[in-house]
Amino acid sequence: MNRIQTEVLVIGGGATGTGVAWDAALRGLKVVLVERRDLTHGTSGRYHGLLHSGGRYAVKDSHGAAECIAENQILRVTHAHCIEDTSGFFVVLPEDEGEYPDKFKAGCEAVGIPCVEIPVAEALRREPLLNPRISRVFEVPDGSSDSFLAAHATAQAARNAGAQILTYHEVTSLIMVGGESDRRVAGAVVHNVVTGEDTEIHADMTVNAAGAWTGKLAAMAGIEITIMPSKGTMVAMNHRLVNTVVNRCKSPSDGDIIVPSHTVCVIGTTSINVPEPEPLRIEPWEVKKMLEEGDKMVPGFAQARVLRAWAGVRPLFQDTYTSGKGRDVTRKLALLDHKEREGVAGFLTITGGKWTTFRLMAEATVDDICRHLGTERPCTTATTPVPGAEQGHYWVGHRLHEIEEKHLQSELVCECELVTRTMIENAARRNPLLTLDDLRRDVRLGKGPCQGGFCTYRATGILHEMKKAGSWEVNMSDDASSAAKWEVAYLQSPGHNLVSDADSHEDNGRAANTADSFNPNLLLRDFLQERWKGVTPILWGRQLKQERLDELIYMSLMNVDHLPDKELSSPVTEFYLFDTTPTAEEVADV
Amino acid sequence: MSDLLVIGAGLSGLMAAYTAVKAGMRVTIAAKGLGSMHWGAGTIDVLGYTATQPELPVKRPLEQIQSLIQQNPQHPYALLTNEHIAQTLATFVALSKDIGVPYGGATNPGDNVLLPSPAGAARPTYLAPKAQLAGDLSRSEPMLIVGFEGMRDFYPELIAENLTHLGYPARAAFLPLKLITNRRDSNTVQLAQGLDNKEQRALLAAALRKIVRPGERIGLPAILGMDAHITFLAELERETNSPVFEIPTLPPSVPGVRLYKAFRGHLQSLGVRLTAGLEVISTQTTAPNGVPGAVQWVESATSARPLKLRADKFLLATGGILGGGFNSDVNGRVWETIFNLPLTIPQERADWFNPGFLNPQGHPVFKGGVKVNASFQPIGANDQPLYANLWAAGNLLAHSDGIQERSVEGTAVATGVAAAQALSG
Repeated sequence: MNRIQTEVLVIGGGATGTGVAWDAALRGLKVVLVERRDLTHGTSGRYHGLLHSGGRYAVKDSHGAAECIAENQILRVTHAHCIEDTSGFFVVLPEDEGEYPDKFKAGCEAVGIPCVEIPVAEALRREPLLNPRISRVFEVPDGSSDSFLAAHATAQAARNAGAQILTYHEVTSLIMVGGESDRRVAGAVVHNVVTGEDTEIHADMTVNAAGAWTGKLAAMAGIEITIMPSKGTMVAMNHRLVNTVVNRCKSPSDGDIIVPSHTVCVIGTTSINVPEPEPLRIEPWEVKKMLEEGDKMVPGFAQARVLRAWAGVRPLFQDTYTSGKGRDVTRKLALLDHKEREGVAGFLTITGGKWTTFRLMAEATVDDICRHLGTERPCTTATTPVPGAEQGHYWVGHRLHEIEEKHLQSELVCECELVTRTMIENAARRNPLLTLDDLRRDVRLGKGPCQGGFCTYRATGILHEMKKAGSWEVNMSDDASSAAKWEVAYLQSPGHNLVSDADSHEDNGRAANTADSFNPNLLLRDFLQERWKGVTPILWGRQLKQERLDELIYMSLMNVDHLPDKELSSPVTEFYLFDTTPTAEEVADV
Repeated sequence: MSDLLVIGAGLSGLMAAYTAVKAGMRVTIAAKGLGSMHWGAGTIDVLGYTATQPELPVKRPLEQIQSLIQQNPQHPYALLTNEHIAQTLATFVALSKDIGVPYGGATNPGDNVLLPSPAGAARPTYLAPKAQLAGDLSRSEPMLIVGFEGMRDFYPELIAENLTHLGYPARAAFLPLKLITNRRDSNTVQLAQGLDNKEQRALLAAALRKIVRPGERIGLPAILGMDAHITFLAELERETNSPVFEIPTLPPSVPGVRLYKAFRGHLQSLGVRLTAGLEVISTQTTAPNGVPGAVQWVESATSARPLKLRADKFLLATGGILGGGFNSDVNGRVWETIFNLPLTIPQERADWFNPGFLNPQGHPVFKGGVKVNASFQPIGANDQPLYANLWAAGNLLAHSDGIQERSVEGTAVATGVAAAQALSG
C-alpha cells in the first residue's frame, strides 16, 4: 500500500473542502485533499448558483445573514471571475403583502445588507417579464456564481500553494489510534477508484468536509453526527428569463428564487428530508411546483422550454433540532471539534453553512487546526484572489464576444454553450478527467438545449484522437507531480484557449497511465445516460422532441447501442444509471 | 383546387405524392419544414433490430417482418402484405435511379447490408445510397477511413478503432480541411457544396491517391458533392484505383438532402406543387353524428395572411413526436397537432418511459400514434374512419418505434405508397 504523510487531510472536494485546502496551504501547512468523484460531484455542483446577499435569511436567521453579506463582499474580489454581478430583487407579490416586507427591510439594515427599495416601474424596466402586479421591490447585492469554476479555481490556488488534490479517491476507512481514553484519527485509507490502488494517508489533523456524506464519514470514527440531508430540486429553463436574481419577499419556501446562470435561468428549490444523499429521485410534483411558483414571479414561466432538472442535498446540521423542517434549521456554519465533543482527537467536522460562506467555513476550520497543532498563522484567504480573478466578473456575452473577436466559429464543438475544440483539449490535459461529465463541469459541455445531442459524439472523438496521438493520458495517479499543469483559470474562456497544449509537445508533467481506463464507447454511453438522467423529469413538448432527435442520432444513425465494450463501466456508471423516470404513484400524487 | 393535399414533406409524404401523381391525381404538398430526411443516415432502414433479440441485427428484414407482425399484429407493416412491401421498396429503388440518387442493397438480394456508422458500429440497413455501398462490411478489403483535421462532425480514428474491434480491419488517416474548403466555418452541407467544384475535387483525389494502399477501400464522410456526387465518386475511384464509400455524419445529412432535393425536383416536374413553410394552423371539418365527417379545408400560416388549402382528399404525413406531428405537455397530454386525432400514446407521463437512454425495449411514448384501418384512414373508438376523405401514412402510425426498430424509412416508403394507392384506387 502507498503511504503519504501530511499535516492536514481534507476529505471532500466541494466548495468547503477545496476552501479548507486552500486556506491551510496558504498558511504553509502540508495538505492533501481527497474527493471520491470529481470536484463538486456533491452539493456544490448541484445547487442553483446563488451568491447570497443574506437577504433570504435577514428575518429569521440574522447570524446566517451576517455571514452571507460579509462573504459576498469578499468573494466578489477573491473569486471575481466565478461571479456574475446580477444584483437581486426581492419582490412583493399580491399574495405576499403584509408585515414581512418591512421586517425584511429592517432585518437587512440590522445586519448591514445594502437594501434599497426601488420603484416598481424601475424594476419592470430592468426586468420586463416580471409580474406587473408586484407592489414593492427591494434591491440587494445578490449575485450568480459558477460553483464548478469556483471549486476548480480554489483547488488550483491550493495546489499553487503546495496542496495535493486527489480526485476519484474514496475513503474506505479512517486510521484510528489510541485506546478508550486517547482515541485519535490519524488519517485515512483511500481507494483510487480508477486504478484500484489503496493509499494510507497519515495526517496530524483530518477534516471531514464531506457535505451530505458527513454523517457517514464520522461514523467511520465511531462518532454520531446527525446531519439532516435536505433535498432541493432545481429546474433549469432554456432562456435567461431574468437577468437579475429574483426572490419572493416572504418567508423562504419552495420555488421562490430564480437565478440567471450563464445562458439559462434556474428556479429553486424544494426542501425535503431524505434518508440518503444519493441517489436522489426528482418527483413530478417538485417539477410542477417549481414551474407554478416561477409563473407567479414571471408570468409565462411555466410555458417556457425546460432544459433539465436536478437535485442536491443541503447538509443541514442542528445539534438539537426537533422540528424536522429543513428550512427552520440555521444555515450558519457548524465546526465540530471531536476532541471536545467525543474525545476523539485529530478530527474536525465542518458542515452546515452554504456555498456563499465556504471561505469563512474554511477559515474557522483552519484556525482550529492551527490551535490544535500549536501554531499561530493568520488566515489570508480574504485578501488573496484565486487564479483567474484578474479577469473580473463573468458576463453572459463573454464567450460569444471572444469567439467573434478571435474568429473561432470553426472551432465550435458545442454550439449551445460555445465550447471550442481547444477548450476541450486543454481542459482534458490540465484537469484530471475520467468522464465527459467532468468536462461538462470544466467547460459547460452539453449543458445547452440539445443536452449533449451533438457534442457527446464530438467530444468523444476529440478525446479519442488525443489519446491516439499520445497528447493526453487519463491520469489519476497519486504522484504529487502528476497534475503539475492543473490550470483552470481560463478553462471557460475561448479566447484564452487559442493554442492547444497538445500542439506544444511539451511534457505536461504527468506520468503516463497505462491503466486501460479510457474507452471511447464507455465515455459516450456514460455521458448519454448522464444527460438522460437529468432530462427524464422534464421531457415533454419541445424537449421531448429534442430527445427523440438525440435517439435518432445515437441509435438510428450511430448505432451506439451496438458498439463493442458493453461490459465496461466507470466508477460513475451506476450513478448515471439511476434516472428518475416518473412512476405512476408519483404522477398520481400531483 | 387539388385532388389531394399531402401534409408533410418527409419520405412518406413524398412517396405518397409520387404514387398519387402517377395515378393521375393533381397533388399539392404543404409542409411546415423540410422533412426528416435531413437528419438521418440517408438509408432506407426496413427492420434492423427486434425487441425479442435486440442485440442481433436482422438478417433478412422482409422475412423477419412476419414474426414481428405475429408479436405485434397492429404494426404498420401488418397493413401490407410482404409482397406489397417489397413492391413499394422496388418502386423507391426505380425512382431513385430515375432521379440520379441511386440506391441499392446487399449483394444477396433480400439481406440487410451492414454499413459503418459514424461511431464505427455496424449499422444494418436494407437500401443505401450507391455512394455508401462499398462500405458493405461483408466485403473483405481493409478500410482506410479518411477524415479532415478539425472537421467537427466526423472522427476517423474512432470509426477505424471500433470497426477493427468488431472484426472489420480499418485504419484512419487525416487530410487538411483546407484542402477542400477555405470557409471559416462549414457544416456538412456547405462542405459538400464546396466539393461540387472541380478544382477541389482534383485536390482531394490527388491527396487520397498518396495515402491509400493497394487493396484498400476508402471511407470518407458523406460530403462528396451535393449535385454531382455520382460523377465525383466515379472520378475518385478511378483516380485512386480503389473502391470509395461515404459514411453518414451528424446532421445535417448530405445523403438525406440529396435525396430530398432530387425527389422534390422530380415531383415538381410531374406537376406537384410543394411548398415548405406552410404550417397548418386550423382546419374546417364536418362531423355528422354516427357517420364519418369530412375535411373541407386546412388553413396554414403565411407571412401575409392565413391561406386556405382545399382538396378533395387529404393525407396526413406529419411524422410523430420528432417530425412535429404530435406535441405534448407537462400534464402528460399528447395530441396530434392538426386534426387532434386520437392517439394510442399513454396520456400519463408515468407511462411514457422505461429507465435508461438506450433501453432495448424503447419508450412507450415513442411507440404510440394514429390508428388507421386497412385503407390507412384514421379511425375512432368504434374503428370507423373519422373523416371520409382523410388518410395517414408514415411515422405517425401507431404501434411501432421506428428508431428503435430501425424501420423509420421502410415504414415511410411502404405506408406512403400504400396509403396513396388506397386513396387513389
